[in-house]
Amino acid sequence: MKKNNRFFQYLKPQKVQITVTLIFCFLYVVSHLIQPILIGKALDNALVSDFTAFLIILIACFFLSLLGAISDFFFEYKVGQITQKTIRDIRKDIYHKINTVSVETLFKESDGNLVQLEIGDVENVANGMFSVLKSFVEGILSILVTILMMFLVNWILALGVLLLSPLSLFVSRFVAKFNHKYFKRQAQIQSELNRISLEAINNIDLLQTLDNQENSINQFENQGKVLRKEGKIAQFSASWTNPTTRLVNNTIYAVIGVVGIVMISFTPTYPILMMSVGSLSSFLTYTAQFSKPFNEISSVMSEFETALFSFQRIDAFLAKDDDIDEGKEDIQDISEITFEHMSFSYEKDKELIVDFNETVKRGEKVAIVGPTGAGKSTLINVLMRFYDPIEGSIRFNGVDGVSIAKKNLRKNYGMVLQETWIFSGTIMENVRYAKADASDEEVIDACKRAHADTFIQTLPDGYQTKVTAKAGLSEGERQMITIARVMLLEPDIVILDEATSNVDTRTEKLITDAFDQLLQGKTSIVIAHRLSTIKNADLILVLKDGHIIEQGNHTSLLAKRGFYYSMYSSQFQ
Amino acid sequence: MIKKTSDSFKRYIPQLIIGPMLKMIEAVFDLLIPLFMKSIIDLSRNAMMGLSPLYGMNAISRGISSFLLLFGNWVESPTLNYALIGGTFILLMGILGFLTTMITQYVAAKTAINCGCDIRDALYRKILSLGKQDRENFGNSKLLTILNSDTYQVQQGVLIFIRLIVRAPFLILGALVFSFLLNWKIGLIFLTIIPLIAFVIFGIMKKSSERYLFIQGKLDDLSTKTSDSLQGAKVIRAFSTQEREEKNFNKKADAYYEEALGVQKLNAWINPLTFSIISLATCFVVLFGAMPIFESSDNSLNTQLASTIITEISYLLQIFTTLVQLTNVIMILTKASVSMKRIDEVFAINEKIQEKEGAISSSLEPGELLFDFDHVSFSYKEGGNEALKDLNFRLEKGKSLGIIGGTGSGKSTLIYLMLRLVDASKGKVLYKGKDIKDYPLHALRKEQSFVPQKSVLFKGTIRSNLLMANENATEESMIQALKDSKAYEFVSKYDDFLDHEVEEGGRNFSGGQRQRLCIARALMVNPEVIILDDSTSALDLLTDYQVRKNIHDRFVNTSKVIVSQRVSTVKDCDLILVLEGGRIIAQGDHETLLNTCEVYQSTYESQTKKEAD
Repeated sequence: MKKNNRFFQYLKPQKVQITVTLIFCFLYVVSHLIQPILIGKALDNALVSDFTAFLIILIACFFLSLLGAISDFFFEYKVGQITQKTIRDIRKDIYHKINTVSVETLFKESDGNLVQLEIGDVENVANGMFSVLKSFVEGILSILVTILMMFLVNWILALGVLLLSPLSLFVSRFVAKFNHKYFKRQAQIQSELNRISLEAINNIDLLQTLDNQENSINQFENQGKVLRKEGKIAQFSASWTNPTTRLVNNTIYAVIGVVGIVMISFTPTYPILMMSVGSLSSFLTYTAQFSKPFNEISSVMSEFETALFSFQRIDAFLAKDDDIDEGKEDIQDISEITFEHMSFSYEKDKELIVDFNETVKRGEKVAIVGPTGAGKSTLINVLMRFYDPIEGSIRFNGVDGVSIAKKNLRKNYGMVLQETWIFSGTIMENVRYAKADASDEEVIDACKRAHADTFIQTLPDGYQTKVTAKAGLSEGERQMITIARVMLLEPDIVILDEATSNVDTRTEKLITDAFDQLLQGKTSIVIAHRLSTIKNADLILVLKDGHIIEQGNHTSLLAKRGFYYSMYSSQFQ
Repeated sequence: MIKKTSDSFKRYIPQLIIGPMLKMIEAVFDLLIPLFMKSIIDLSRNAMMGLSPLYGMNAISRGISSFLLLFGNWVESPTLNYALIGGTFILLMGILGFLTTMITQYVAAKTAINCGCDIRDALYRKILSLGKQDRENFGNSKLLTILNSDTYQVQQGVLIFIRLIVRAPFLILGALVFSFLLNWKIGLIFLTIIPLIAFVIFGIMKKSSERYLFIQGKLDDLSTKTSDSLQGAKVIRAFSTQEREEKNFNKKADAYYEEALGVQKLNAWINPLTFSIISLATCFVVLFGAMPIFESSDNSLNTQLASTIITEISYLLQIFTTLVQLTNVIMILTKASVSMKRIDEVFAINEKIQEKEGAISSSLEPGELLFDFDHVSFSYKEGGNEALKDLNFRLEKGKSLGIIGGTGSGKSTLIYLMLRLVDASKGKVLYKGKDIKDYPLHALRKEQSFVPQKSVLFKGTIRSNLLMANENATEESMIQALKDSKAYEFVSKYDDFLDHEVEEGGRNFSGGQRQRLCIARALMVNPEVIILDDSTSALDLLTDYQVRKNIHDRFVNTSKVIVSQRVSTVKDCDLILVLEGGRIIAQGDHETLLNTCEVYQSTYESQTKKEAD
């Protein structure tokens, strides 16, 4: 069981805590379950008019219940603590993993999936762990101690209860299993209903203009009809638990009661039966409570299964290899980037860039052009070493990129992508992200050069305005913030995606001016959307379907009358 | 027709009454079983000591014992006889109680799910008929929550109502009454602990559920941080700031840990406290119950006192279990009533966009006015900022209208007015010479084709999506529409052609493909007007041009409204509106605007100079 190994790793440092918890649990269960015996003994003593013994037992009872309550509190608290500590460690480890695996690994997992792993799955583990530690441990212990106590009181009746107990076990297990099946089906129908309504309500304008609401309502009501049928069964089967438990309880109660009373009456004749009114009292209390732990254990089984499944998913992610970086060398002041017979593909049998040769000198501009979806960001991925070439190499000042440490290589770049990345925090923090030790003045200066200062000044708290990943800034403003970041960094090489989306014309002008500022005097690799960038480029790479199909400068490419030419001329129809 | 949540309950009044009543049978049995046990003990004790069967019994025991004596002698030994008869009755009561309960459970399940579905169906219909403004007051995500989770809460409320609303209080009250009848001192103990336990459970649960909201906030923090870091994975690596990020995350994880542990600690109090109360009460029950034993020497009476104690302890346990259940019931019902209020808020909305009674549609000759905007202003909230101010323009049948302007200039809102998704706050929108509010709504929807900015496809097939606009469309007309929208070139490559699957939101198509399919859907009918709201932004300029040309050539008598940020897209229109800040700052054709409108001119220049995608 390799899978469980990692889980035990999390528990290992808490060995002492777990032992203490188990001791508390034991104290609690024993002092709780010893009470019915004591009450029974007190009754028997009352019946023989031994007042002192009666009182002593009651007082003992009182103190034991105090002890039980205190141990119960610590038991539950400790269980919570162990659980929370464990999931905190798991969370941190998952986050660490997210930051150490390769971009490629992350790319293959969907973001939503990993967030679900970090939040939902970890919560599942917490729930499962808490239930197992609490209900399961307590339940098992309760069952064992109850049996022991019953044997102490009267072995014959105890044997009887023991024979009847599989009935509880069987019934509760059966009901739980039955439920599980129907609830799963109900959940499926429910999620289909959610899907229909989500789709319709999010696009209600369109639906109304198509005058198509009836259609969606029909779909919804039809699905609802299925839910009425299946949901009824699910709810009904779930409601079996309590009545059946009560039935089983009442049955055992009746049998034990009747047998007990008969035994009392025969005890004077056959002393071996050793039954008294007090013992009967204890027994009736035990039988009334005996099925509770069985129910609890069977109800946590599904939580346990969910937790196990979630942990397997977590384990699979944590088992992924960290990003390998064999590079050790440092590099600064890059004056030349050379592609030497470089080939690259994301998947083995789907070649994209084949045998690419080119040299980019300091201060030169490379423009990458092509239709949407042509794979323009591939080259950037390779240059940044998010991916490495399959064959050949990229040399920086003659040094093979693979032998340079990723961190050392990346510090030479500044990158502005189309999908802007703003994290929750102030504007100041967001810009400073590029250079942790930058002073406020430096940040403001960078924002000025990125034309961002003007709009930042109009925000309610200026540079201290809080923004989040999704709210607080328009698309254009976010783009300017990311430009300011790179301005602050002053890198040797700038990587830029010029696409501006959802931006009005005035902002677009500001952004493009900022782009020009940014690129001045730097080596740049630009996914180009503007004619001026393309015309000024020293090298234009034309991409289509992931391949570099043409390369050259504006004049030479036009002269070729190839794909670039037709793309260029189509715009002015 | 359900107009508020309680309407749905009215449909199920018999079930809502009979269900809980049936449950009383079991509750009565549950209360009787301990008393039967006591009577058996007392009877057999008296028989053993050779006393008369009912010797020294109190009223309750006497009643039950007399009842048991009616059944005569099944076996010779009297003890065994009473035990057998009593035991049989206890079993019978258990089984009968179980059966009636199961009937209630079934009624509850059926009624609850039907009630829930009734409400949900009616609510869904209501939501889909809501106008844009009404919806925006709530927001889509809140509407979805109300539709899916609030209706579920109400359903659970109905379920619990039928199952437990009578049973739980009845059991507690019954146990209390019997305990008083058996021994008033013990009854007093019960009376004291019931509110005490209720107070502990309620108090702690309320507090912890408040704090739970806070924890949820911390968990949201973690979730945001994780998804931030995933989206920014490349940036984090580019700046090599992994360590900083981790430190930051760990701080948040620690904060969550502290909060969660706090609630665990709070919850950990519930069991020990209630457990202590019950144990203490048990001690007192035994103490008060047994005191008379020491003062008397009548063995039979003493046994009866002891059996009373046994019965009282059973009741004590029953009260405790039921109290826990009752707190649960109250919590669920409280939640349900909050949800009911939220649902009723939606039901209570007066739909603003409705079809006027007796409205009739009409047809139009070429050259007549399709749209006439007469001093139209619009604001989303009454008395709020005007999104559109004093619009005046006319559109003839068959002519084309271009609308250009930056983000926030009011382009989309103008379209909503034309589509009657919203109504003008001031002024009049005339459609075919009539106030658009007086035109039949269904006819209006049929006469207008709309392609929204966000290209939306519905789960199903390409065919089912096209049929949404015109359910009687032929295969030929679908192919024609696909060809006109330049979607045919990729759709024809699919083996299953029109039956090719469309996944949720159309995510199995690229942005450009989605846009072309959406346009095709709009071309399935022969409408009075086709409205394209920036619907070609993902198409390259050549395709954009071709699609517009196809529409122009094939829909000669149809008016076209084209919204765009690109001058090249609108420049061929008969009339172009330039919007800025909710006003029309200029209108005219391309040439006129180039000469008269500075904004138009500079937009045109900057765009033609730089576009190269």
